[in-house]
Amino acid sequence: MSFPDPQPHPAVPPAADVSRRSFLRTSAVLTAGLAALASSLRPLFEMDDFPSAERFMQKYYKELTPEEMAKVLRRIEGEVEKQYGIRPHVRDLRPMDGVEFVYALNLTRCIGCRKCVHACVQENNQSRDPEIQYIRVLRMPHGSLDIDKAEHNYAPESVPEKGYFYMPVQCQQCRNPPCVKVCPVHATWQETDGITVIDYDWCIGCRYCEAACPYWARHFNFAKPAIPKDRLNPEMAYLGNRPRLQGVMEKCHFCIQRTRAGRYPACLEVCPAGARKFGNILDPNSEVSYILRTKRVFIQLKEELGTSPRFFYYFDV
Amino acid sequence: MDDRPRNGRLNGRIRTAAVLWGLVASFAILAAAFARNPWGRPAPREAIPLVDPAFLSTATNRRSYADLVRAKEDLSDYDCYACHEKGKPPTLRFDEHQNLVIPPEHADIVMGHGEHGRNNNCFNCHNENNLELLQSRDGRVLKFQDSPQLCGSCHGPTYEDWEAGAHGRISGFWNRTLGLIKRQDCVNCHNPHSPTFQGRKPAPGPHPLRPPATPVRAGPVH
Repeated sequence: MSFPDPQPHPAVPPAADVSRRSFLRTSAVLTAGLAALASSLRPLFEMDDFPSAERFMQKYYKELTPEEMAKVLRRIEGEVEKQYGIRPHVRDLRPMDGVEFVYALNLTRCIGCRKCVHACVQENNQSRDPEIQYIRVLRMPHGSLDIDKAEHNYAPESVPEKGYFYMPVQCQQCRNPPCVKVCPVHATWQETDGITVIDYDWCIGCRYCEAACPYWARHFNFAKPAIPKDRLNPEMAYLGNRPRLQGVMEKCHFCIQRTRAGRYPACLEVCPAGARKFGNILDPNSEVSYILRTKRVFIQLKEELGTSPRFFYYFDV
Repeated sequence: MDDRPRNGRLNGRIRTAAVLWGLVASFAILAAAFARNPWGRPAPREAIPLVDPAFLSTATNRRSYADLVRAKEDLSDYDCYACHEKGKPPTLRFDEHQNLVIPPEHADIVMGHGEHGRNNNCFNCHNENNLELLQSRDGRVLKFQDSPQLCGSCHGPTYEDWEAGAHGRISGFWNRTLGLIKRQDCVNCHNPHSPTFQGRKPAPGPHPLRPPATPVRAGPVH
């Protein structure tokens, strides 16, 4: 074994040392390297929707003043109009005083028709391809409530099927939401009316919340959402159904653009069996108060986890 | 002895140059490959079809008499005395199993109210003395618009739930100060002559993005 020449190399070789050969070699390596770099950056040049400086510099939802929010809403309206050719109506709806939303779902009535799934997609401007759906309808055999036995790809000619019941699962709007705890940037939080919301412009897409949620309620935009122009719902809310970007999370928000304006959620209105009930639990005269008082409220899904959902499953009789 | 270190350095230089040129060549090939894309892009997967708008409809199964009156539509189906004679209660005919024989003029009616099959007398609900009215089992005479009260005379607990908004379809505003709630009548969803819900085709499930490896289980899960 021989050691390299112990003679120290000069730190900076004198200019005379740059021979033609070494010059050519260096420039060839450099050219090839630059070409490789340029080709690897190709997708950047193919990008057509660079975020505007305004969008890039936008502040956190909770830090926006009313004037800034108004500006942001106009910007979003402009962006949507540019992309879809429809001027939407984007609002920033705040929680109402003395209101806490609760959802109740009657497992005796649900027939598993999945109309709620698609009404939700239509109302909330979810991507159609790739598909994002906030509601997953589980088909389960009678006599158990074992999620391991659930099937969500059922496709019979006709529902309901004998020997099964159906359990739609969506965001449970937990009182103790694990998704909020794990968010490293506070892009998701629980509002005073019980809705856990996401600031889509603050989300960094790390998907920790997706992993933390025991209800498979959070969905990630792996690709740029595709919404056909003629199916865009122009009635939008900032924390609700405005079109999302690639790389952010989204989930059910109890149709914030409807419920904070006093209306019922879309999944409730479309249910042909009347299995879905929604309202203000702080109002003793609301339907949900009546149900929780008088009905056999069977479960909060996975209640042993201590998430304390605001979504209740119940039975008639 | 003198040569060995020099030869070593020379070999080292040659090796370095070879590795560098090798790297340059492979980068150049990769760059050309990325730029020219000789393999083409992978075949795009099949597009996910849009859902049939029929599944998005919030319309009820049926339209009640009250709906038709409100919409000022054709009520000739309810004009009983176009055929029946006034003041003369129609006679009912039963077969040997005490099942109602439905006359051909009313062939659209399927009698199936209750699994026991014994609620088969028209005048359990219709008023035989005035066919344009209904009558409840507790003797009240009711208009067609007030049919929920008739249903409630037998289905008390369900009627209570319906009044509280816990049974049946509702739409509109949960916040009564901001707008009206719309509550559907019993007969908007249930056919009074055979109230049990009929099966329906489910809307498509989540797209699997590829053909399922194993066919969807059709039988009961064990």
